[in-house]
Amino acid sequence: MTRFVARRIAQAVLVLLVATLAIFLATFALGDPFASTGEKVVPPEIQAIDRAKFGLDKPLPVQYLTYLSNLVHLDFGVDFDQRRQVSSMLAETLPNTIRLALVAIALDVLIGVIAGVIAAVKRYSFTDVLVTVSSTLAIGVPTFVIGLVLVGYVSGVWIFPVVPRSFTVQVPWWREVLLPGFTLAIIDAAFIARLMRGSMLEVLRSDYIRTARSKGLPERVVIGKHAMRNSMIPVVTYVGISLGVLMGGAIITETIFQYNGIGYLLARAIQANNAPVIMAVVVVSVVVFVSLSLLVDIVYAYLDPRIRLD
Amino acid sequence: MSRPSQLRDISARYRRNKLAMVGLVIVAVLVATAIVGDYLTPYDAYEQNLLNATAPPSAEHWLGTDVLGRDLFSELIYGVRLAMIVAVSTVALSLVLGVALGALAGYRGRATDTVLMRTTDIFLAFPVLVGAIVVVRAAGQGIWPVIAALALFSWPVSARLMRGQVLALREADYVEAARSVGAGSRRIVVRHIMPNAIAPVLVYAFTSIGVVVVGMASLSYLGIGVPPNVPEWGRLISQSVPFLRVPGKTHLWLYPAMAICVTTLGFALVADGLRDSLDPKLRGDG
Repeated sequence: MTRFVARRIAQAVLVLLVATLAIFLATFALGDPFASTGEKVVPPEIQAIDRAKFGLDKPLPVQYLTYLSNLVHLDFGVDFDQRRQVSSMLAETLPNTIRLALVAIALDVLIGVIAGVIAAVKRYSFTDVLVTVSSTLAIGVPTFVIGLVLVGYVSGVWIFPVVPRSFTVQVPWWREVLLPGFTLAIIDAAFIARLMRGSMLEVLRSDYIRTARSKGLPERVVIGKHAMRNSMIPVVTYVGISLGVLMGGAIITETIFQYNGIGYLLARAIQANNAPVIMAVVVVSVVVFVSLSLLVDIVYAYLDPRIRLD
Repeated sequence: MSRPSQLRDISARYRRNKLAMVGLVIVAVLVATAIVGDYLTPYDAYEQNLLNATAPPSAEHWLGTDVLGRDLFSELIYGVRLAMIVAVSTVALSLVLGVALGALAGYRGRATDTVLMRTTDIFLAFPVLVGAIVVVRAAGQGIWPVIAALALFSWPVSARLMRGQVLALREADYVEAARSVGAGSRRIVVRHIMPNAIAPVLVYAFTSIGVVVVGMASLSYLGIGVPPNVPEWGRLISQSVPFLRVPGKTHLWLYPAMAICVTTLGFALVADGLRDSLDPKLRGDG
């Protein structure tokens, strides 16, 4: 087990190193943020000073190594636009993203599992058809369409805050997180409902369920305890991956709701061509994604000894 | 799978599935529209008329006009072609790359396998949209950068699927038999392993077409991807955001959104139907 974990961690570190290099090359090596054209050109000397200030006059390998050694100390540098510490921007936005991801996952597991179980237990009933058809339809609808409809018709109503947001109005976080969380949850819930229905149907056919029923256990216990446990396995895998993606910032949804997470930060940084921020957000989302899948792998290896041998 | 009787079984199973047939009709209509689109558009999709911007649907402009006064119906037809070109090229690219490299990794094993699988790890470390953003930013705007970006982050999944299949089949008795009569590696992989290994990869390819269509729309929604003057579905929707709450301007975002939904739904239904008919055992709902 220790060897397996050590090897998996070494792999993850290698992946992160190559990925950061690729991100670095793609964001920093291209274009000069201090180049200036037009009527009032910034004097070349001042451009050179700016470049020197941000270390852009050094050779690329030196820049990359400097970036990496700063990264170890959680120093993401200073952004080109407002000259703020990128790490403080992340500290401000990352908790919001994590909150949104957790709310979305909670909502979609709740909706998805309940819908899937009901559909499987009452197979071919009206509810089953309703769940199957609506989950197929929901998968076809892109997130930003759901988001836009909610922004257009639901935001500003009842407890849902208005979008576009006004930064003079304080809204408690749980009210802010509802609509984007729901937007993200709808499609995932549809996937989970389908997964859950499929694996539940499979489990319900197995021998141990027949045994449980023949022992005279009430149906509630058979479904809720015996069948649920085993049919949750594919759902747990899916949720693990989904959480990794969401923690990396739901760019589109956060942008639509102007939700102050790292996804919206990234969208704004792209528009402003603010390389340090783009780099930082992408690095964070890759690190989160890789660590979560590492965690999932280790948990799997712990649960299923066969995986360790591979 | 290559034998005609099996193909007949597969198509019979597929045709029994009503939802899958609906999907097939949608996909056929989309492909036909993409091919003959130029003859269907009443106006030039690029022609702006700012005096008649955001006009509601009328006899003249069937679906109304967009923010720049372009005929929305013509734009959507043009968008079908764009979406089909991007989706088909992306999926074809990632399929070829994924199948070839996945088969290589699975059959060769050892160092080849390790190098290829660690490479897929690196690409899979990026959430697709985030990775695509980085690539498109680096490669510049345009249709080809979008295709390259989306393909770059979708081939690893096909490669992994293919590798897993090849690994399982490599030691199968019939492959052993082929080897014992002296078939070469290439013949074994191409003639014996591939036909049996490809089904899940093909199903994944069809599933990912919807993802690609939404991915392209998302990129242009964020203002990267195809150039701003191209009437792409995601771009049309992002342009209409300021009119979201304006009464009577619903057509601005509703029709492009519907176009995306119908497209992704069509391909998702076909993918589901293919999965069920290629291998009845894979069926989720028994």
